[in-house]
Amino acid sequence: MNSPLEILLIDDNPADLELLRETLVDQGRVLCVRCVLDGQAALAQLRDTSKGAAIRRPDLIVLDLNLPKKDGGAVLAEIKSDPQLRSIPVVIFTTSQAPNDIEHSYMLGANCFVTKPGNLHDFRAVVNRLEEFWLDVARLPRQGMP
Amino acid sequence: MKQVDILLVEDNKDDVELTLHALRKENLANNIQVVVDGEEALDFIFGRGPFSDRTLADGPRLVLLDLKLPKVDGLEVLRQVKADPRTKSIPIVILTSSKEERDLVEGYNLGTNSYIQKPVDFDQFRETVNRVGLYWLVVNQAPVVKPIAAAAGKSS
Amino acid sequence: MSHSSNHLASTPAEKLKVLLVEDDPVDKELVLCALRNGGFDPQADSAETQEQFIACIEKNSYHVILADYNLCSWRGTEALDLLQKGAMDIPFILVTGALGDEMAVDCIKRGTADYVLKDHLPRLPVAVRRAIREKQLREARRQAEEELDRKIEELARSNRDLEQFAYVASHDLQEPLRMVATYTQLLGERYRGKLDEKADKYIAYAVDGAVRMQALINDLLIYSRVGRQRGEAQRIACTTVVERALRNLQAAVNEAGAVVKCDELPTLYIEPGPLVQVFQNLISNAIKFHGPEPPRIEISAVEKGGQWVFSVSDNGIGIDPQHAEDIFVIFKRLHSRSEYPGSGLGLAICKKIIEQAGGSIWAESQPGKGSTFKFTLPARPTAEPEEKHELAARDLVNR
Repeated sequence: MNSPLEILLIDDNPADLELLRETLVDQGRVLCVRCVLDGQAALAQLRDTSKGAAIRRPDLIVLDLNLPKKDGGAVLAEIKSDPQLRSIPVVIFTTSQAPNDIEHSYMLGANCFVTKPGNLHDFRAVVNRLEEFWLDVARLPRQGMP
Repeated sequence: MKQVDILLVEDNKDDVELTLHALRKENLANNIQVVVDGEEALDFIFGRGPFSDRTLADGPRLVLLDLKLPKVDGLEVLRQVKADPRTKSIPIVILTSSKEERDLVEGYNLGTNSYIQKPVDFDQFRETVNRVGLYWLVVNQAPVVKPIAAAAGKSS
Repeated sequence: MSHSSNHLASTPAEKLKVLLVEDDPVDKELVLCALRNGGFDPQADSAETQEQFIACIEKNSYHVILADYNLCSWRGTEALDLLQKGAMDIPFILVTGALGDEMAVDCIKRGTADYVLKDHLPRLPVAVRRAIREKQLREARRQAEEELDRKIEELARSNRDLEQFAYVASHDLQEPLRMVATYTQLLGERYRGKLDEKADKYIAYAVDGAVRMQALINDLLIYSRVGRQRGEAQRIACTTVVERALRNLQAAVNEAGAVVKCDELPTLYIEPGPLVQVFQNLISNAIKFHGPEPPRIEISAVEKGGQWVFSVSDNGIGIDPQHAEDIFVIFKRLHSRSEYPGSGLGLAICKKIIEQAGGSIWAESQPGKGSTFKFTLPARPTAEPEEKHELAARDLVNR
């Protein structure tokens, strides 16, 4: 596997995106992190990648639920109902801890649900665990088998 | 009825032992149920057959699923559990020795929450199981369990 | 409205709008006379046929209807039927010749306010006054009930709005708050020791404030969520509920070396989730506020007067009785943050849950002598949620 892993971050908060990207990249892995601020644009980009455009399809998507225009749940639903996109693991990474949001996300096909911690230390710890699990422990569909 | 944290679906005795050992070591889960084939797994999750006194409120909170299983194979178990709205939200982690790319892709397409390839090395295997437990039981927010609707066709 | 059979001429006569259903002119005059003698100033309309009767009651409002039983083409009681069909509540009195007892009782049952015999006309004013008073009472009660219904609906709406507000406010506040918290921490990280001492201190204060605000908002959210998501009630043994609470507290129990003794507890028909939360909070407090010895906690229940009274006792530091009620107030804490962690939410949540279930919760304690927290739950499933809400609202309105 030559090309670096592609992670797509979808979050409307530039501050969160920056922190997330920094934390992911800080660990020293070879990664390509793309950030998109709105759900509709993200979907458009994803569909483009399916058709073999310049940007590669991501290996992992990290998605916030609170998005303007098209909310995270709707984006998730569209990804998971698209046969070309649905095998991509989607990690919901969001402020909410509400049981309704959690349940709803799983029902729409989210692979997992992680609540954004409120302080820097925990935020980093959680993102590290997330990265470690999805990039070291789990196997991602796009990567293929070794 | 006893609440179950992890349902381990695995027919290989050695792997079962290793997995249980790794999970218990970090005190990650107290209630682990082991079933040895796909049919038992389905019975357990849906609360039927030998497990008909179970309800969805009793868990499991996480399923560790091997693919090569007798009676009903892992992907079929996955398909059935993810196709039913009552059980769809249960996190399922495929933990398999299969090297088939087909299994990997099909697994994710069918809705597995993640796919792990079992390391061959003992220590690595334990470490992997440990990380899996930590991630899915601590970092991840599991969905709320709710009672499975009683027999007569009520949908929850 | 008092009445007197010796009506003094100097007292002004009461105006009375009366509909006479009577076809005999002499009888009409006798009735009017009796009314005048009784202190009334009657303004009478007359109806002899059904058509006339209907026309009259449709167009006019009357204080009372006086009807003869025997009319040429119809019975006075038919007029009553017409009145009732039109759902009008006008006092209806039969003024008639001899009427058998059975007939009389039957008339009353059908809704006549009274009957007066034609050879006992002096009694008529008394009957009229009583019938009018009864109607006024009925009317007052109807209005009171309508007012109550309105208040209940208002209360329900107000509650919904409040909860919605609390939820939305807390939910939407979390994100900007997180930005402040994480970025002030980042600032601290990046510039600690590179600016001046004051800067370090200011950043530390900012971070502290942000973090505490987050905890508060988070707790507020949890509190506002209590009772919003109604789950399903089920028959469950309370010992199972306690077991689940203990499982959630596993780490704390182990760390403190706490011993929990649970007596026989009843099986109830309730939503298990909230009750788990109550036991969890109480046990957690018992562990947290322990004395010099490892925490010993005892849980028991007795049935008393249609309720189960649960007790959670501990051997901890105890509570000063003057604070016994305060502790259930949201965010109220009795110790500083450095002494004991916690936001002051646990007991407020317990209280909310228990009260929603129709019970009450209180603490019995002395400083240094441990605490017993008690709460009640109805022994049998109570009224439907709407009814319970109504009953509670009535209490509120009547206060």
